[in-house]
Amino acid sequence: MAEKAGFDPQVFKKAVEEKTNARLKMWLEICAHCGLCADTCHFYLAADGDPKLIPAVKGKKVLEAFKKKDKIDEKWMEDFYWTVYGECTMCRRCTMFCPFGIDIATITSTGRGLCVSQGKVPKNLVKTIESYYEHGNQMEITEEDWVDTLQWMEEELQEELPGATIPIDKKGANVLYTVNAREPKFYPMDISQAAMVFYLAGEDWTMSTKGWDDTNLAMFAGDLKAAGYVSQLVRDAAEELEVKRVAITE
Amino acid sequence: MSLYELLRGPLLWLAFGVFVGGMVVRVVLFVQLSQKKDKPIYRFFSWKWLWLSILHWIIPLNETAKKNPIVTFVGFVFHFCLIVTPLFLLAHAVLWYESWEISWWSLPETVADYMTLITIGCGLFFAVRRVVLPHVRIVTNAADYILLAVTLAPFITGYLAYHQYFDYQTVIILHMFFGELMLVVIPFTKLSHFLMFFFSRAVTGMEFGRRSAPSW
Repeated sequence: MAEKAGFDPQVFKKAVEEKTNARLKMWLEICAHCGLCADTCHFYLAADGDPKLIPAVKGKKVLEAFKKKDKIDEKWMEDFYWTVYGECTMCRRCTMFCPFGIDIATITSTGRGLCVSQGKVPKNLVKTIESYYEHGNQMEITEEDWVDTLQWMEEELQEELPGATIPIDKKGANVLYTVNAREPKFYPMDISQAAMVFYLAGEDWTMSTKGWDDTNLAMFAGDLKAAGYVSQLVRDAAEELEVKRVAITE
Repeated sequence: MSLYELLRGPLLWLAFGVFVGGMVVRVVLFVQLSQKKDKPIYRFFSWKWLWLSILHWIIPLNETAKKNPIVTFVGFVFHFCLIVTPLFLLAHAVLWYESWEISWWSLPETVADYMTLITIGCGLFFAVRRVVLPHVRIVTNAADYILLAVTLAPFITGYLAYHQYFDYQTVIILHMFFGELMLVVIPFTKLSHFLMFFFSRAVTGMEFGRRSAPSW
């Protein structure tokens, strides 16, 4: 379900111009239409070889957006929306099999960016983006809840490994450990298990009260502005804590 | 000036000019635009991944070769004959010698004759594939057939000319016309992949490579 309806041709044209780059132009021009990408795509295979689902067809739709940028209407946009969000997971498998190495994932991502310009983003992704802006993570976890969870996990950890800790905001540590926001929300034990590994390895590590969510669903949504904001949160945390490196959860 | 002289002289110059000039412009535009809008290419530039990516596809050392051995084989033979036959054809070498006194090695005529037939055969294989396979048919448009025809036309007319089937004068004029037509359309169509292949493979090779993942 799209977040907003309506179509603004001016904004669409501007988005197309903004998103035109050298690689995209080259790829859309040189695709030889050989069809070798077909059976590398899980959507195509899962639909018993429905030719409409081969990667090259999806790339062609993005090409259409660039070629006919003046003639796009709402109906076309609706179909396009389902293609770029619903028929490609941007896994890049087809790229590995393309003789030219045409990157359909990047092309899809560009297509999603065009949808973003029209406010056409899947509802749940919009919710996560709002959460990133409001709480700095995708699961609407407040800083208080986050710190509480870490302290609770530290207690659990110490029952098994006395002396082990989960350091928070330790300046100058070697490693800043970031997690997927699903962990504190649904699987907090994952955090204490990671802490166990760090403790037994004798690693100098820390967690942060800010910029601790290493997921970036904004990027998945094609909203590059929001994606940049999310990445910057982690970078800012790393710089503030003066850590040497950032580790991300499995 | 006869039609023959026109095609042999000024139009040939024009065709070469459009072909070379067009491709130079393509590359310059690519580099210019990419410096502005494709910063990751330069930020993660790596000669190692660039060459590995190109080499694994110039020599069929990739997943597609294993997954689609027949298409890979036919594609390879097609491209090899397509490039080598006209460059090293005795009749072409004679023309170079007559005009510029440049001489180079040329293929035995029978070999070149077979290579011409092989090129045409491979081209027909691709045409049939476009018609028969639903997942290829769906991405095929008129331009794909036209470009295939434009690519094969110089080989078909060249074969006819060599064996002097039909009226030689007409056939050789058609041969030169189609050869020049093919050169002219290259910069403006997907045929530009003969050069852009290297750029595309390079950028994707580096994009995968910066994550230590091979793109082949």
